[in-house]
Amino acid sequence: MAKSITGEVLQGPVTKEGIEVKPVDTRGALEVPDFEKIERSEGFKNLMRKKKLFLIPATALFLGLYLAFNIVISYTNWLDAPIVGDIPWVWVFAFGLFAMTWILVTVYMKQAAQFDKMAEETLGEFGYEEKEDIR
Amino acid sequence: MNATVIIIFLVIVAMTLVITYFAAKRTNSASDFYTAGGGLTGWQNGMAIAGDYLSAASFLGIAGAIALFGFDGFLFSIGYLVAYLVVLFVVAEPLRNLGKYTLADMINARFNAKKVRGAAALSSITIVIFYMIAQLVGAGALIQLLFGIDYIWAVLLVGIMMTIYVLFGGMTATSWVQIIKAVLLMLGTVILSFLVLKNFNFNIMEMFTQMKTATPHGEAYLKPGVKYEIPLDTISLMLALVLGTAGLPHILMRFFTVRDAKTARSSVMWATWIVGIFYVMTIFLGFGAAAFVGADLITSTNPAGNMAAPLLAQALGGDVLMSFISAVAFATILAVVAGLVLTGASAFAHDIYGQIIKKGKATERQQMLAARYASVGVSVFSILLAIFAQSLNVAFLVSLAFCIAASANLPVIVYTIFWKKFNTAGAVSAILTGLISALVLVSVSPSVLSPEVGAAIFTGTPLFPLTNPAIISIPLGFIGGFVGTLVSREIDAKKFAEVKVRANTGGFKQL
Repeated sequence: MAKSITGEVLQGPVTKEGIEVKPVDTRGALEVPDFEKIERSEGFKNLMRKKKLFLIPATALFLGLYLAFNIVISYTNWLDAPIVGDIPWVWVFAFGLFAMTWILVTVYMKQAAQFDKMAEETLGEFGYEEKEDIR
Repeated sequence: MNATVIIIFLVIVAMTLVITYFAAKRTNSASDFYTAGGGLTGWQNGMAIAGDYLSAASFLGIAGAIALFGFDGFLFSIGYLVAYLVVLFVVAEPLRNLGKYTLADMINARFNAKKVRGAAALSSITIVIFYMIAQLVGAGALIQLLFGIDYIWAVLLVGIMMTIYVLFGGMTATSWVQIIKAVLLMLGTVILSFLVLKNFNFNIMEMFTQMKTATPHGEAYLKPGVKYEIPLDTISLMLALVLGTAGLPHILMRFFTVRDAKTARSSVMWATWIVGIFYVMTIFLGFGAAAFVGADLITSTNPAGNMAAPLLAQALGGDVLMSFISAVAFATILAVVAGLVLTGASAFAHDIYGQIIKKGKATERQQMLAARYASVGVSVFSILLAIFAQSLNVAFLVSLAFCIAASANLPVIVYTIFWKKFNTAGAVSAILTGLISALVLVSVSPSVLSPEVGAAIFTGTPLFPLTNPAIISIPLGFIGGFVGTLVSREIDAKKFAEVKVRANTGGFKQL
């Protein structure tokens, strides 16, 4: 028995985990599941671990390289020397930051597909099914 | 102004009006109006994001800056592109999962407090106004040059067109104008790049060798330091660019026009490729303009270098290409200002009128009416401001908008998604500290106060040494949110659990 997205078909515990359904006064008649229970579930914790494992190092990496590049070109002339012909190193590093952006985006797209799967499984465990976005 | 330019110009205007006509038929609810019903696909929205981002300032400004200052002209592009990683990793998906029409919606998914919504709407409106004046002033000056009409008429022309798109076609029309413009802009840039490379015999090495002697800067042209000489100022500015994009309301709004986080993500991917490839091509445009048009002619036509790309088109492709590039620039301006009007209107009509005054109980009809009144209001207000702001420096206004976005919006977004103890007082104080510190520091900076008469808006001694205060105001925004949170001590772990689950899984959107 799946929970309807509009929240009107809630009949007692619906999965093995069981959803505690309680009304939320601030939002009128809508009923919500116990989010703290989902938050504590193995599936969700695992998802957050995996996300952090990718996002924190990746963010540190790109912000670090970006700042380092700007500090180096502002305070030193280390990158002014030519690498090949008359092309200075600074252009190579600048293009490197472009390449870094495209690579990280591509890697993230792959990772995120996994996150999606994990999120779906976690939600499924709690009887939630993705339906048409209602607005 | 010749016949070709008029014909190409009229074709583009007619095309956008046809789009608006069809979009108007499909705009029947507030959701249609603000977010095109959330029905855009990944590549469509990616093109529209790229379209929003590649304003006339990017297209004409960066090409001109590279032509005049070489590597330093290109520097901005690096910040503008890397910024998309912040958007992708931090804001895009939670925003889609938690919000409805505006940034304030997303923050209020956690707090549901009028003062938080009010503060978020205030910072959005401030950013939109600065960005809008920059675009309109730039547009006015540009159209004056391209078509030889007066500044006031140019601003009015752009102003009326943008109002028509938004008023009748809402987000559907705005998005499709944006998509078509992105295609035209890429097409024009590819043609110009091809012609430039052809003139360098398709040899990048040869291009760099020639550029070493082609400009008055000599060898320095290919190295940093021609334009930006104060290290800390450069770093502060680059910080504003990389962190500001993730707080720009008109970019954030684009994540509500897709159905889910997955599509939001793929639209960022599309945008990153389009924007990145475009920026690489601006190098060819800039170098080409410097080599084949020459710095003297570029600066004598427009001191800021904004005419470099059209002049290059004239030099390499004659009148027809020049007309095409000018018309593309015009379409670019229209599309970007339409997106800004819509964003400003959503903050007024949805956040302030619909949610704060009407407490979320406005009927569909009232919401639509409010949205349309607000669009007209925002348009008229910004047209009037632009007419009086003709002499303001466009680049300064844009960098200020990025700085406020990074200082006022980014801290509150990050805290809302990641910090369990964050609370209502913290949210208000994060937004206001970032907003006020950015504004105050800029108002006493060398951009506003200069001892030299006429060099800045006022004559006087600057009290703050940097032209862009991001390096101070961004940390202040974060500190403001931190201190505000600790002072009030209220904490709602249950609500954070909900926000965390919803932001990270995309479930329970209806709540």
